[in-house]
Amino acid sequence: MEFIFEGFRKAVQLILSGNPEIFAIARLSLTVSLAATALAVLAGVPLGSWIAVKKFPFKKLLIAMVNTGMGLPPVVAGLVVMLFLARSGPLGFLNWLYTPKGMIIAQFIIALPIITALSISAMQNVDPKFYNQILALGASDRQAVWVCLKEIRLTMVAAVIAGFGRLVAEVGAVMIVGGNIRHQTRMLTTATVMETQMGNFDMAIAIGLVLLAVGFIVNLALTLIQQNKVLAR
Amino acid sequence: MIKLSGLRLAFDTGFSLAVDSLKVREGEVFAIIGPNGAGKTTLLNAMAMLNRPAAGNLEIMGRDALASANKLPLRRAMAAVFSQPYLINDTVFNNVALPLKLRGRVDAAAVEEALELFRITHLRDRNAKTLSQGESHRAALARAFVTRPKLLLLDEPFASLDERVKESVIQDLRKVIKISGAAVVLVTQDQAGALTLADTLAVLVGGRILQQGEPQEIFSRPASKEVADFVGVETILSGRVSANSENLCSVEAGGHTLMAVSACAAGDSVFFCLRPEDISVSRNADAGGRRNNFKAKVTGVAPWGLQYKVELDCGFTAQAAVTKQLVDGLGLKPGAEVYASFKATAAHLIKRNL
Repeated sequence: MEFIFEGFRKAVQLILSGNPEIFAIARLSLTVSLAATALAVLAGVPLGSWIAVKKFPFKKLLIAMVNTGMGLPPVVAGLVVMLFLARSGPLGFLNWLYTPKGMIIAQFIIALPIITALSISAMQNVDPKFYNQILALGASDRQAVWVCLKEIRLTMVAAVIAGFGRLVAEVGAVMIVGGNIRHQTRMLTTATVMETQMGNFDMAIAIGLVLLAVGFIVNLALTLIQQNKVLAR
Repeated sequence: MIKLSGLRLAFDTGFSLAVDSLKVREGEVFAIIGPNGAGKTTLLNAMAMLNRPAAGNLEIMGRDALASANKLPLRRAMAAVFSQPYLINDTVFNNVALPLKLRGRVDAAAVEEALELFRITHLRDRNAKTLSQGESHRAALARAFVTRPKLLLLDEPFASLDERVKESVIQDLRKVIKISGAAVVLVTQDQAGALTLADTLAVLVGGRILQQGEPQEIFSRPASKEVADFVGVETILSGRVSANSENLCSVEAGGHTLMAVSACAAGDSVFFCLRPEDISVSRNADAGGRRNNFKAKVTGVAPWGLQYKVELDCGFTAQAAVTKQLVDGLGLKPGAEVYASFKATAAHLIKRNL
């Protein structure tokens, strides 16, 4: 038991002393996961809305595939991205393997089906008559989707929260694609795994606490946006 | 304004809409009435370009409305209001401003004017989700009018309103339609509303337009039994024309010879139609010049709107609408002996195909 309390005490000390390495790792984790979430929102929300609104053959099959993608194992995503980015792979010329860019790509692939699937179901929940009403007021298809998205912004922000939550806590893909290289691609999750394996429990606990804090702060910000009266007008 | 021909729409449910010809002129109020499931909304949605007909031509404001390139410009020249107001989660002002915003315009004065027209200026900063039903409908109408549409499509816009609110909304709407000069297509089950607003009426039953014309004409001279049934002709008797003398027909129906003004020829099989408000009930045999006068027994009295409906047995069954004063004054109750009379001009004959 003693070593747990001792670990916590030292962890708090590390954080309070402003250990520069921990904060650099936190910054990288935040940057990579936020960038991947942002890209997934930019791609997934229009894609999901389009799938929800349009009629086309094999639509149900496509939706089933997207839904399956929500459970995509990060290690599989990481493996595929690594194979593509490897020196002899099709995208090897980019030299993105073991870089934050590579990790952003891997996390983007994990988040995209989540954001897309949640956008589809949120959009499909919009009454088609509401959508028709907006069209009948002179909206183009794109404008009508935008008006609908604003109506369902609560759900859409929840989708963003779900996507970011998955990414910031994800370890498998960034480990494979990033390689946990010190000062370059070490993330909060990969660092936690490594320090634990090395028996540095105080460091592991400290990083774990920072990870929780990062997740909380981002979610707090998103929740404030979601619940904000100004936005809800 | 709208020219429509050979329009066909079929659904998986087996329902099909087939409208051979329909024309809405500029500035007119065209009402489509019909029972539930007749296809009224489907027809209106076709005019709003919200569904895709399997066949036919649809021309709106001189442009082919089935060509996808014309859809957006046409939609921007018109507006639609449905039975639910479908307001966005925003202030009333921003709701009314939405159609302008969709057209890339900012025009606060136009929004204020639309709010004023439907008397909801005091609600401008309220969130639309907090409005009462009547207020929501006013907001939806203001939103539709803000762009000054040349064509307005209204789908049961008053269906969920109570009588008092409905009347005031209809009155405001009538005033605004007059000011704006817009053509209006109104789909409704509410015959009174259709009568007060419409210049032209079309009766849609089972996906087919059975009759179109002036409302008064359709209500008093329905072209078929289905239309007669729907527009409130309560007494419909099968009979045969036995003689026609200068358009005054003698009709053998219900064990009597009834008189009706009609161009039907002797020998025609007909439906003899009477509206309840055209039958007079009295205690004495003096028919006051009405050509049809029968001794009758009251078999039922029931409230009917502000009036009473009296069921009469004259050898045939007839329904008469009477005022409360008359019910009290004549002591109308089941079993009472009275006289029922009606003018030959009030009766209407529909040729029956055997």
